[in-house]
Amino acid sequence: MLNEERVVLMTKMASYEAHDGKRCLAIGSYFRSDYIGWQVLKSIISATIAFVVVFAMYIFYDFEIFMTEIYKMDLLEFAKNVLFLYLGTVGAYALISYVVYTVRYSRASKSLRTYYMNLHKLSSMYKSEKNG
Amino acid sequence: MTTLLVAKQILLTIYSKYEVYITPLLKFFLALITLCLINSRLGYMESIDRITVVLIVALMCSFMPMNFIVLMGAVFTLLHLYTFSMECAAVIGAGFLLLFLLYLRFSPKDTVVVVLLPLCFLLRIPYVIPISMGLIGAPASAVSVACGVIVYYMIHYVTQNATVIAAMADEETAAKFKFIIDGLIQNREMVVTIAAFSITVIIVYLLRRLSIDYAWTIAMTAGAVVNIMVLLVGDLIFDINQPLIGVILGTIVSFLLVLILQFFVFYVDYSRTEKVQFEDDEYYYYVKAVPKVTVAKPEKKVKQISSARSNTGRISRPPHHS
Repeated sequence: MLNEERVVLMTKMASYEAHDGKRCLAIGSYFRSDYIGWQVLKSIISATIAFVVVFAMYIFYDFEIFMTEIYKMDLLEFAKNVLFLYLGTVGAYALISYVVYTVRYSRASKSLRTYYMNLHKLSSMYKSEKNG
Repeated sequence: MTTLLVAKQILLTIYSKYEVYITPLLKFFLALITLCLINSRLGYMESIDRITVVLIVALMCSFMPMNFIVLMGAVFTLLHLYTFSMECAAVIGAGFLLLFLLYLRFSPKDTVVVVLLPLCFLLRIPYVIPISMGLIGAPASAVSVACGVIVYYMIHYVTQNATVIAAMADEETAAKFKFIIDGLIQNREMVVTIAAFSITVIIVYLLRRLSIDYAWTIAMTAGAVVNIMVLLVGDLIFDINQPLIGVILGTIVSFLLVLILQFFVFYVDYSRTEKVQFEDDEYYYYVKAVPKVTVAKPEKKVKQISSARSNTGRISRPPHHS
């Protein structure tokens, strides 16, 4: 015998699993610190590649002038400036990523809590049907 | 209006029934239009400027995720640019990489805007995207819209200056590089457009979230007006010489298109708004419920003609339900 309430709940849950749930379940499979740490690490790698690309463009932009000036400039000072700029860029980007992924993790866990509650409800529906 | 509502209902029913076929078909057409436009605007590499190649790739895009269209668009653009000038491909490729690494990685859902916005620019109705994203997106969509504007202006700059770049000798690699980067960084029209579109997205988003009647319509109108205002002020300050009539006409057409979007996504009856108030142990709830406008789909009535009575020339009445 079909239980209408159970079918509605199962449809809702299946739809959730197919859409938002897929992403949330993937996030939920990590511990909070693992998830955020991994995402921030990926962001640091991305920011490093982006910095290298921009730096390369900067060098190529005035390549001839740069090559003539490279003998005159204080290379240690230049390297120090570049390093500070790199740390500043990556640090800011990592901070933004930390905030974004912390919010995403807490949203995903909230939505998963509702999902698990529904799962529990479903299992109790089956139990009561079996007993009744 | 009832006819339109019935048509909407029928369209939604058809879509939900044949979603499995319609979604890939839409993806196919989006990919086809995107790749054809890229080929018609750039078209330097003959081997990919063929309809058979475009059809095969569009077919692949139809059953891949939406972002695959963006990837294919980027690959086609870079291949054409590489054939035209390696320096162009390097600069534009670096631009794409930066956009992907720094922003699009965060919001893969919005990536399609990066394809749609340049398409709408070519159709002269780019204003439809910031207003729509304000209505259905979030404030962060302003960044996706900005990415779309950057992509369009990067390609636009190369196509506009193709003859100048081609005229530069092959040995002048550094000069070409400088010329392209200068053109992209100092493009004031791009900066004004990014500012106008970002402000439009945020204003539309803020207004449509207000708990007032006709919030969506007010948001759309305000967005369209603000968009024109910012573009005009930017035009005056930076002396860009954008065609005023084009901006106004484009915004009006975009507004009408967004009205269609509103009809499908958010069509409600404010005259039947209900405000209720209740409480539980933790909260007071002030709920405003606005009913959606729906109409029942007209059902086909089948008149049964009883063969026994039809012999006597009388048509039987349908059974009477009490």
